[in-house]
Amino acid sequence: MAMKPEDVLRAVHAVRGAAICIPTMTTAPAWRDIAPDDLSVACVGFMGGASSLGLGLALARPERRVIVFDGDGSLLMQLGSLATIAGARPRNLVHLLFKNGVYHTSGSQEIPGGLTVDFVTMARGAGYRAAFAVGELDELKRRLPGLLKDEGPILVELHTTLAEQTPMTAGGGAPFHEQIARVRARLLAES
Amino acid sequence: MPESIPASLIIDTLKDTFREARAARTAEGWGRAPHDHLGWILSVPDTHQKTVLAALDKEQALRVLTCATEDEAVTIAAGLHAGGEPVALMIQHAGLYASVNTLRGVAMDGRVPTFYMIGLLSRERDKAPRESRHSMVRYCEPLLDTFGVPHARLEGPNDVHLIPEYYRLSRQRRGPAAVLVGLETS
Repeated sequence: MAMKPEDVLRAVHAVRGAAICIPTMTTAPAWRDIAPDDLSVACVGFMGGASSLGLGLALARPERRVIVFDGDGSLLMQLGSLATIAGARPRNLVHLLFKNGVYHTSGSQEIPGGLTVDFVTMARGAGYRAAFAVGELDELKRRLPGLLKDEGPILVELHTTLAEQTPMTAGGGAPFHEQIARVRARLLAES
Repeated sequence: MPESIPASLIIDTLKDTFREARAARTAEGWGRAPHDHLGWILSVPDTHQKTVLAALDKEQALRVLTCATEDEAVTIAAGLHAGGEPVALMIQHAGLYASVNTLRGVAMDGRVPTFYMIGLLSRERDKAPRESRHSMVRYCEPLLDTFGVPHARLEGPNDVHLIPEYYRLSRQRRGPAAVLVGLETS
């Protein structure tokens, strides 16, 4: 039974504290509604960049947890980022991978390899400190406190359904430059 | 005639550039830096700047992160900037071509100060890059012009002052700015 992405996001939001969150593509509209704050930056318009943006923030602010909401199709576009992240060894980075097997935003075309692609094995092979899959919301809720304190980088492959909205159907949201400026201002104020 | 620039001169200039950036960061109101080093070099290895990259391996004051792609490097730089850290990219022209969408979507649309050092691998000593017989050399400056990215060429040791100037320019314009390394560093 796959999880609804919106349920996953609500569960993360309930425990995230002051973590910086980086949604991308289909998690962006829902996250905007669930967590309308200035500690999130949505990656839309440069698909594949969420993991790298999260890495940069994690390296810059090692005292703060950074959570990336990546997509399977998105990560495939910059798969080398797994090795770059593992090499940088950010202890504060959690990489949540929403796996649905398709490019939902562009019309649900199957990603290369579909649901058989094993991102857990890839992350382990790249050198992440931990990587595992979760298919049940209750299990995710049990493991979330650990994800917020255990040493990263950690990748969690989340087996999910399609989101209710995509960036194409939802529209809206602040421009990327405003989001970057807001999170920078917040981090400056709290530095 | 262009001349090769010693790696040590480039590294010393980068250190000075980052010291200035750290001072600006403090003036902006950032608290104590979470790191001891002056700033970050994000590199996708460039044959043209390999002596600099080799010397950086022994350098404690600059933190080097090797990235798998230039797309990653530009986006990691955006995250570091958002977190208040000084950063420079060292790539080659082919990597610029490979990461054009990230140049547009992150550095330009994100209004992220992004300072590039771009090696002009295979650039002929006796020719302007636009007259090169190699397309990878020839198209670099026109591509930057197309995207409105200010750029200048490091044609010898006397040009290293362009490094802090273009670093500052990227901050002032809140976007990308580039220096092109004309000959292989020594």
